[in-house]
Amino acid sequence: MEHFDEHPRGALHAYLDGELSLEGSLAVEEHLTACGACRRQLETLRALRRLLQSARPAASEAESALLRVTRRVRVRRRRALAVGGIAMAAAAALVAMVLVPRSDRTVREVAAVHARALDAGRSVDLASSDPAAVERWLAARLPESIPPVGSGDGFALRGARVDSLDGRPVATVVYQVRNHLVDVFAWPSAEKDMEPRPSVAGRFTVCRWAHRGVAYWMVSDAGTEDLKALAALIKERRT
Amino acid sequence: MDDDSREFERFARPHAAAALRLARALVRNEADAQDVLQDSFLRAFRHFRGFSGESPRAWILSIVRNVSFTLWRKQQRDEPADVEPLLEGEPDTTPSPEGRLLEACDASQVHDALDRLPRLHREVLVLREMEECSYREIADVLGVPIGTVMSRLSRARAQLLRELVGEPRSKN
Repeated sequence: MEHFDEHPRGALHAYLDGELSLEGSLAVEEHLTACGACRRQLETLRALRRLLQSARPAASEAESALLRVTRRVRVRRRRALAVGGIAMAAAAALVAMVLVPRSDRTVREVAAVHARALDAGRSVDLASSDPAAVERWLAARLPESIPPVGSGDGFALRGARVDSLDGRPVATVVYQVRNHLVDVFAWPSAEKDMEPRPSVAGRFTVCRWAHRGVAYWMVSDAGTEDLKALAALIKERRT
Repeated sequence: MDDDSREFERFARPHAAAALRLARALVRNEADAQDVLQDSFLRAFRHFRGFSGESPRAWILSIVRNVSFTLWRKQQRDEPADVEPLLEGEPDTTPSPEGRLLEACDASQVHDALDRLPRLHREVLVLREMEECSYREIADVLGVPIGTVMSRLSRARAQLLRELVGEPRSKN
């Protein structure tokens, strides 16, 4: 068994905190029977603990804060659902716009891809704020990749991953604005330029646009204004 | 579709008070603490489905700590620096009335004394003595090895004792 010739100072704290093995506890207790100084020290530490515990503030308002947060999430979702419903009704009226159901499906897919990455805690496979490094990494994994735009205007480049959209691998560049992560999917496309059109899918904003031979999808829990600002930044840098 | 928010309530509710107490220990005022708390709950809600660790409490508290971090940096200018003072000298080996002096302290003296400690010491004391976290949980919240938790905790206790009852050890 361990034996303390010296005062077991660190072990005394661990003993007090119930973090010692049985052996360690016995060794400390053996020392305590022989050492008045350590007994007094332990007594002082116990008095300190009682004092701190008696001074522990109530924090009952924390539960109401939690319930406010979850209630707000539910209200926001119901509202998004209602707005989505109106959009669907409008779409149904414009039966000629055959593309709507497909693009609506993709909006949900884009949101789901983003949610999956967040939930897995794996937003980037390459963490880097260097656009050249991100470009090299993507170029090594995809046949055709778009050079990403570096940080600016409050958007920080965080890195990249390759995700899958509509059944094919696509370059996914990740930015952060305040506390929000933004996924930007981009691929070469022949379609003509299109202004960002944000739509809401659950708790996420999804935004589709095209510029100079590149098609973009962006998704985030940041607001629509943030996504438009990021689109503007990308356009500006790529002109 | 509301189910996950209800589920999150059940998941987070037992740890809400601990989260607020830690937030209060880490930021300057009640309004900041409430902001930190709310932001932490939102973040935790977004990610709690991916949670697979052992201690939901340690996970939530580590989020509180991360959210506090941005505020920390703003407030660092007017705070005592986050350094760990070294324990120099030997522990007291003469009888001392510290225990009795401590009995005479009240809650407001304790909070004042805690406020005078560096944040690293304050948070470890709150986690251990008020929330009764294990060393493992504290290590997870702080992102440091258990050995660091132990040494920081013993320094924090020694420093709090000094704040409460004066210099506890004999000077040579």
